[in-house]
Formats: sequence, structure tokens, C-alpha cells
Amino acid sequence: MAMKVELRELNRAYRIGDQVIEAVRDVSLSIDAGEFAAIIGHSGSGKSTLLSMIGGLARPTSGTVLIEDVDIWARDDAFRSDFRNARIGFVFQFASLIPTLNAVENVALPRNFGKGGNRAQDEEEAIMLLERVGLGERLFSYPSELSGGQQRRVAIARALINSPALLLADEPTGDLDEETEAEVMELLLSSCRKTHAAFLMVTHNRAIAEGADHVFRLKGGALQ
Amino acid sequence: MKLYQIALREIGRRKMRTLYTASSVAISVALLIAALMVGMAGQKDLLLTIARYGHSLTIFPATSNETSLQNFGIGTGHYIPEDSIPTIQEVYEKAIRIGWEKKGGFVLDAGAPGGVDMLQPAVFTPRLYEETTVQGKKVVIAGIRPSEEYTARFWWEVDEGSLLQKNDECMVGKVFSKVTGVKAGDVLTINEKPFRVSGVLRETDSPDDYMIFAHLGKVQEAFGKPNRVSLINVRAMCNYCPVGEAELALNTTVVGIRATSQREIAEAQHRIFKNVTSVIVGLVLLSMIIACMAVFNMVMGNIHNRLREAGLLKVAGASRGQLMRLFIYESLIIGLVGGLIGYGLGHALAVTVGPMLLSGAVIEPQWEYLPIAVGAAMIASMLATIYPAYYISRIRASEAFRAL
Repeated sequence: MAMKVELRELNRAYRIGDQVIEAVRDVSLSIDAGEFAAIIGHSGSGKSTLLSMIGGLARPTSGTVLIEDVDIWARDDAFRSDFRNARIGFVFQFASLIPTLNAVENVALPRNFGKGGNRAQDEEEAIMLLERVGLGERLFSYPSELSGGQQRRVAIARALINSPALLLADEPTGDLDEETEAEVMELLLSSCRKTHAAFLMVTHNRAIAEGADHVFRLKGGALQ
Repeated sequence: MKLYQIALREIGRRKMRTLYTASSVAISVALLIAALMVGMAGQKDLLLTIARYGHSLTIFPATSNETSLQNFGIGTGHYIPEDSIPTIQEVYEKAIRIGWEKKGGFVLDAGAPGGVDMLQPAVFTPRLYEETTVQGKKVVIAGIRPSEEYTARFWWEVDEGSLLQKNDECMVGKVFSKVTGVKAGDVLTINEKPFRVSGVLRETDSPDDYMIFAHLGKVQEAFGKPNRVSLINVRAMCNYCPVGEAELALNTTVVGIRATSQREIAEAQHRIFKNVTSVIVGLVLLSMIIACMAVFNMVMGNIHNRLREAGLLKVAGASRGQLMRLFIYESLIIGLVGGLIGYGLGHALAVTVGPMLLSGAVIEPQWEYLPIAVGAAMIASMLATIYPAYYISRIRASEAFRAL
């Protein structure tokens, strides 16, 4: 089945005291498999909230998130956990590695939560991915022994371990220097091209957004 | 990598916090173990003390339907034929068996105070009491069967000489010895028969301190009372023995005797056992609550540090159940460590404090409490972690997502 992400009139509001904050308002969009879409907007415009709802992490107040024609918010938490584990990869802006696990173990981490699993095979695949992201020499290093760029590469390898159909990235290059930023972007894009995964990225960087197949601009929670 | 391995790594990363949390569990467990060990030793000591104050059943000659002491016939020319003892024994044992069956066969485990290791056959100790004058003092001579008597009165010891053994010997009570100056090795003339004093019985705080003891057969011979005994003491050698059943059976079956059970002693033992058990159960609960509160505070205090990690695991596909399990595994490991340390500390505490509280009672290692210590610690630790683990598993991953 070709991957397709479709959002229909997605809303997310929350209350602070008496005030109701509409973080996301009536957002409808769709992305096909293999496409790269960028979400841009100012801080507080609802970009991360939108990404969380697509990733099954934050429940919309109303609207529908369809991924591969599955309405993920109509299903229970266990289903969403499995779905997230098997079909969605996440890359975050900040270091997001478990400090007590080495690079190989961090990359293989999602395999611990999936069904079945074979430790030797998981580690073998994790090593292949780490070699692909250029960390073949740092397989058994712990996060504290890696630079910011290296940690981001480990996180990318981890996001790819289950060959996700959808890769969600929240400003993955935000704190990296230009050279590392370019390397990380190239890594993300080439990985998605290779697996034909849909790639949705939140970014402040217009140059990166310009290279996307779709650019969605959010302002005050609504698409412009 | 399994969830418990991730938990172990996390424990390894936070060694000091883990040790701190485990030590709070360990202190509670130590108190529990010390209370159990000292409590059980105290109970055992108490039961032994109670055992000194009387026999489970005393059989007197039946002289009337009255139950006042003077009518029991001691020293008033009323006796029980010695050859009726096997019949009495048979009736007694049958009644005890029936009594146990009525009680549903309640028997404590071996090793427990009053447990099956104490369920020995009852000991029948017949005595013939005769009054005479020795060294110018009126005294009661008690004819006894030494081996049975020593089994029933296991606390008997001598201050000098040795316990009564030979046929031509006698043993004197402490008070009699003090009053008359009789010592081990002296020869006393009792009803014109010579008896060498084998030893002086250590003070028992009972009428025995005023008596002279000799072999039953020799006393019967000296006083011309062959095949006669004044009473038979029966030590049941078990706790909660249904001696009431035996009393009833003896009084209705055997002619010429009156059996009187000392039920109040059995009841007192039962009460003490029950009370000590209640106190121990209370301490167990209290110590578990303290351990739970300590772990709960530690885990809740650390919860915000763990949100980030929980969020990350959630986005990696961990379900709520898996997240809860991860945190509960950590708590079980903390409980295990706390339980082991607590057992060691509790043991040391009991060995140190126990003898002071129980005037020299020996506190022995109780390895069977080790699984109790570890089990209680792990359960307390797990119970205390359920809510924090539930809380963490329910966090909106978007919050953790933002935290990342």
C-alpha cells in the first residue's frame, strides 16, 4: 500500500485557566509516499503540536489523522503504540538518546517494544544503519562520548530501524553547524528516498523548506 | 535487549539514588526482621517459662465428689494404684487423638514455637508423697521415677552433686538444704532407711524446693505403700493440646481417679501466641507502609527527571504497559537489594538487642526469614511504584515530545 498521510480538519485546543488556546485550527493536508513536506512557521504557531498529532502522540480535539487509510485516533493506545513502533520514525531537535545504552542499543531500542524480535539480528541491523550514517567506528560509544552531530546520526539510525513508512522530524538540524546540518539533511532525504518513506519535517530554515515537495506554513495554528 | 536489562542499566546509572532508596527499604525490613526474630525468640522463651509452672493434667485419687484440694487425698491415705498407669495412659492418648481430630488436626510447622517438633508423647510422672521427719524437720518425701521426671521437668538442675540416679540415693530441695544444712554426699535416714544425698536441686520457686526426692519404689518400700502413688502429673508436651478432652475421658472412664486439667495455662499460652502474632503482623504491616512511603517519595521526587526518558520510550513505540513494567522492574530490583541489606541489618540488630530485651535469650539465625525479608521489600517497593509508574505511562507523549 502506498503511504499516504491525510489530515482532515484537524483541531487541537487546550485550556489555561479560563482561556482556551487553539494550538491547531482546521488543518487539512495530504502527503504521499516518498514525498518530502516541510512545515514552517514562527515559534508557537502549532508546528510541533501538529507533528505530535500526526505521530499519534497528542490527541486532536477534533478532526482525523489518516495514515495508510487508518484513522489512528479512532484506535486504542496499544494499537497506536504498535503502529508508531512499526510505521513511524521520529527525529527530534535535541539529544534524544537513552544515556545508559550505547549507540547500537539505542538504535535497536524500538525493536524492544515491537512484536517478536531477535537480539542478534536487531543488533546486526543497528550496526548496518550506524555504518550507513557514518558511525561504524563508534558503534559501542555511549551518548556522552558522542558529539551533537553524532548523536543526531544515531537518532536518525534509530528512526530508520523499523523501515518506517513515515518519518517525522522536529527541527532535526536546529542546533547543528552548517556542515553537519547539510550532512544530516542529506542523510534523512537519502534514507527516505531509499525506503520511499513520506518525510514530514518541522523547520525554521527556509533554505531547507525550499527543497521540499510541499511547504505548509502555519500561523496561529492555521495553514496559510 | 529485554526491558529488565534496560531497568538494570538505569539502576546502574543512578547507583547513589538506588542505594539511598534501597536503604530506606532496608531499614524497614531490618526492623521487621529484628522484630520477628526477637518476637519469636521471646515467645519461645515465654512458652518455656510457662511450662515451668505446671503440668497439663494432674490425676488425683478420687475421694469424693468435692473438688477442694484437701479432698484430693494427698497425704490423707488415698492413693492411685501404680499398675493403673498404663490404662490411664491409654485413655489419655485416645482422648487426645480424638481431640486433635475435632480441632481439625491443627499442628504448627516444625521449628515454630509449639510446632510439631514439640508434639512428643505425653510424659506421665507418678509421685508418692509421704510426710516424715528428717534431721529434726518435718518434710515431704516424694517418690519419683527419675527418668520421666527429668523429661517433664527439663529445667531441673543441681547446685551441687548430681541429679538423683541410683536406687539408694535421694536428692534434696534447695530450701530443705538451706534449713537443715544437708549437702551432697550426706546420708539421711528416712523411715529408718539410709539414703545418700546425690545432690541439691537448684531453686525452682515451687514446692519441690522443700522436698526430698527418692526413687518411687524405694519410697513405697520405706513407707510400706507398694503399688501406690499419690498423684500422676501428665505433661502433654504440646501447645494447645486438647487436655480438656483427656480430662473428661479419664473422669468418665477410669474409676477411682479425678483428673484436673490446667486449661488456663493452655489458654494463656494460646493468648500469648495470638497476641505476639498480632503484634508481629502489625509490625510487618507498619514496616511495609514505611517502606512504601519511602520508595513512593523517592520515585515521585525523581519523576520529572524520568519524563523525558519515558516520552522517548513512548515515541519509540513503548506501550503504557511496557513503560509501567520498566519502572516496576526497577522497583523490584531496588526491593531485592533493600531486602538483602535489610535482612543482614535486621539479623545484626536482633542478635545485638535481643539478649538485652530477653535477659540473655539466644537469638539464632533464622534463614527462613530471608525470603520474607526479600519478598516484603520487593512487594513494598513495587506497590509504592505502581502509581508513579502509572502516572508516567499516562503522560501525554506530546509533553515529553516538547520536553525533548
